[in-house]
Amino acid sequence: MKTRHFLIPIISAALVAGCATVPPSELTNARFAYQQASEGDAKQLVPAELHKAKESLNLAEESFKDDSDSQKTKDLAYVAQRKSELAMALGATAASKAREEKAEADFAQKQTAIVKQGKQDLSDAEKRNAAALAELAAIAAVKEEQRGLVVTLSGGVLFRSAEATLMPSALVKLDQVGNALQSVRTRNLLVEGHTDSQGSGSYNQGLSQRRANAVRDYLVRRGYPADRIQARGMGEDTPIANNNSPEGRANNRRVEIVIEREFPASNP
Amino acid sequence: MRQELQIGKMMVAVAFVATALVSGCAKNVPLRTESTTSGIRAAEEAGATKVPQASLHLQLAREELELARGLAAKGKKKEAASMLLRAEADGELALALSHEDAQRVEAQEALERVRQLRKDNQ
Repeated sequence: MKTRHFLIPIISAALVAGCATVPPSELTNARFAYQQASEGDAKQLVPAELHKAKESLNLAEESFKDDSDSQKTKDLAYVAQRKSELAMALGATAASKAREEKAEADFAQKQTAIVKQGKQDLSDAEKRNAAALAELAAIAAVKEEQRGLVVTLSGGVLFRSAEATLMPSALVKLDQVGNALQSVRTRNLLVEGHTDSQGSGSYNQGLSQRRANAVRDYLVRRGYPADRIQARGMGEDTPIANNNSPEGRANNRRVEIVIEREFPASNP
Repeated sequence: MRQELQIGKMMVAVAFVATALVSGCAKNVPLRTESTTSGIRAAEEAGATKVPQASLHLQLAREELELARGLAAKGKKKEAASMLLRAEADGELALALSHEDAQRVEAQEALERVRQLRKDNQ
């Protein structure tokens, strides 16, 4: 009984002391906010703001020591929490700004690389075109037209009379043409078959189509992309010489390979 | 001797009047809210009302400013000044959060431009 009487004031004193040292929620929040801020971007990117938050928290802690449950302590702790949150916001802004600057630098770098590569590609393409043109000019008649570069192969070299099967000598010629065309594989080709005016128009139309098909198929077998090459029979309708003489008719019997322009020429 | 006594009385009177004046002035010193109101205005102009977190702190700042004015009107100077500190802190935070949001959007757009450029030139 005596012991119980002795314990009551001790427990009461301990409780009072315990209650007195429990920090207000504002201070607990402020401590937590500062801890969060000091572990984030603020420490590296806005140390001055973090320092201000620390000073603000110190003021609140001092006030808590002097008068633990006063309104002043709560207000100072509230302000300290906001200062830590401010440091966090400013740290996040600085980090975001750094990301933006890096992205802009990446963008500029990438753009420069693209322009450089584009110029290089253009230069390479021009060189390839020039080389192909020189190679083709050595094999066949080549001329620049509005629709593109036209390579003309004599029908007498490619086919026997009234036939659409390529002669062995034609294969050699077409191999050379095919090799030269490999350097312009990105261009669309149009293979046109032409005849003289001997025979009926419908027969000549069919013959010219079959011959154009034969040349197209051979070039595809040689590796030119099939989706970039078309064949068209033109019949006897577009002669390049007079059909009254044997020489003129020989010139009219021909296959033209049109290498279309990469960028269509603008009309004058 | 009599003259000295009179001077002494006068000095006491002057001191009394001066003390009264000083304490009177101190009691009537108006609450300095300029910094807080300009902080709130800056947050509003930065678009705090459109950013949820910033908007919350902007509202807190406005309410705390009004409370501070109310406390000042009742003569509770210390409490008013303390409440004003809260308002100022919330106003500053609202402004910073608005800037953070705007900056985040800008950074996101910059990253998107880079991503699109890479995609277009693969």
